[in-house]
Amino acid sequence: MGTNIGKYIPSRHKNCGVSSGSSPGAEQSKQDCVANEALEIINIKLIESGEKERLMELLRERLVECGWKDEMKSLCRAFIKKKGRNNVTVDDLVHVITPKGRGSIPDSVKAELLQRIRTFLVSSAI
Amino acid sequence: MQVDSSLSGTLRGVHVREDVWIQLVSASAFGRLLNHVIICCIYSGTMSVLDEDSMSPYTQLLSPLFSDLLDSIIVDVASECHRIARLGLDRNLENEEEELRLSAEARAKVADPSISSEANGKYIVDIFGQTHPTVASEVFECMNCGRSIAAGRFAPHLEKCMGKGRKARLKVTRSSTAAQNRYSRGSPVSPYSNSTAMSRLSNGTPGVAGEEYSNGTIEDL
Repeated sequence: MGTNIGKYIPSRHKNCGVSSGSSPGAEQSKQDCVANEALEIINIKLIESGEKERLMELLRERLVECGWKDEMKSLCRAFIKKKGRNNVTVDDLVHVITPKGRGSIPDSVKAELLQRIRTFLVSSAI
Repeated sequence: MQVDSSLSGTLRGVHVREDVWIQLVSASAFGRLLNHVIICCIYSGTMSVLDEDSMSPYTQLLSPLFSDLLDSIIVDVASECHRIARLGLDRNLENEEEELRLSAEARAKVADPSISSEANGKYIVDIFGQTHPTVASEVFECMNCGRSIAAGRFAPHLEKCMGKGRKARLKVTRSSTAAQNRYSRGSPVSPYSNSTAMSRLSNGTPGVAGEEYSNGTIEDL
């Protein structure tokens, strides 16, 4: 769906293989597992209803408007110029952009998207 | 369990997707706990708009969802930049350095007096890389006097030949046959010679001598 590259979708099944045991962190990991499963289900709902696609389009639009995308592209270009056009991989660029990208999202954009997600969660009335 | 009755209450009151619920119900032992968690999420969500409680699973769900969206978009931007770089579609990538270099060179050339500029050099290179000699060298025949003239000297020759200077006017009146052939209208010839006679008189001795001379030649013809 969309242009997702498979390996970049985070796998959420990491912690759930842990046997519920005597370790003190058992309660926490159980909660994590629960959260992971809930996340899976909500993700499925998002995708099936088409809301995920709409949210992605909205986010893309907002990020272009506020100039975030241009900032990221110029970061990429600087890195490419330094490293040489033919030696760059997508992986490199992702690692270049991710820390700065996550930090430079404007608050209004983040708030709008979170509000939309929250509305969806409530209205889908799991 | 008290949760069960509340669950069933919620189920009846709200429209849900049945297939998802069937999935939940037939899930592992965590299934019921999961439902419980989700109900808590809804309650906490409706009670406070901005729930800062980090222990609330509701907030926990929100952030990863947003991060997922953001990661997808970051990957899209990265792959787009990668594509442009590898296909060489970004003209500015190398151009900037090239232009910087060229402008530095140009500035050095302007500042440097030893290198011959256009005015000094004999041969100028134009934008096609061709050089032309300063004086054009093709030879033409003058339509007025019939002499063969170099193209570069043609304009000054025509000036003298056709009538700007004294000697040109002399020529016209002298070779009246040629003038009559050229200017087929008759009248312009005589006022022309009259006016030139006037100007010649004002010039002084050479004019008088010329007039006499011209009279002489006409008589000869």
